Amino acid sequence: MTIRLRNCSLVLMTIFCVGCSASEPAPTNRITQADLAIRAAVDAKAADLAPVELQSARDKLAQARKMMAAEKYTEARRLAASAQVDAELAEAKAETTVMRRAADQILRGAYKPPTEAERESRKPLTSEPAAKDRATQ
Amino acid sequence: MRLNNRLKFRDLLALVFFLTSLVIGCAAVQNPTLEGAREAYEKALRDPLIARNAGAALGRAGQTLQTADKIWAEEHDAAEVEHLAYIVQKRIEIARTIAQRRVASEEIEQPQSSR
Repeated sequence: MTIRLRNCSLVLMTIFCVGCSASEPAPTNRITQADLAIRAAVDAKAADLAPVELQSARDKLAQARKMMAAEKYTEARRLAASAQVDAELAEAKAETTVMRRAADQILRGAYKPPTEAERESRKPLTSEPAAKDRATQ
Repeated sequence: MRLNNRLKFRDLLALVFFLTSLVIGCAAVQNPTLEGAREAYEKALRDPLIARNAGAALGRAGQTLQTADKIWAEEHDAAEVEHLAYIVQKRIEIARTIAQRRVASEEIEQPQSSR
């Protein structure tokens, strides 16, 4: 009787352990999304305008890849998701900085966005003096 | 004998009281990181600048907060909930940044239209 009970508990323990170790699938998509988010942030000049957030995203993505290689998929998924959100924040901050600088320049009057007429006439205006300069040299 | 019985009854009563308070206490246990994220989200909801300019971005923070609440209530998975709370905080920050960008964008458009 006691041997049966012991066997039964061993079987149950094995089932429990197998159930616990059956972890989630590899978060390949998450890693790809994080990578794309980092690329988008780099395109938005986050390396100059939001370096802390961009570096955090890169470090986390590198860690996530290490965890993937070690088959620690839960940790890999969390790190990749954190990397993605850090990269999205880096991109948003970079874009906001660009927009804020432009708005400040306009408010100070240092930057005047070209009117439609100026944009139309820009090509002949910029090319003619250059041609004249070359001719005089 | 009577005194002994009374003592036993008192012990039983104390045990019942202890177990009841333990059950109530466990049910009400909060995760401080999750509560911090909730506080930040509610503060962002009250911010008219975010509500007007980055409602959709803030909505994503709210969805993640709901997921974190569900996981905390059903599984009590502290590591997962703390991870999701971090995502909520970052999404709030993204929403605030987007709102600031829209304000700057409006400032650029206003002087042009007034000229």
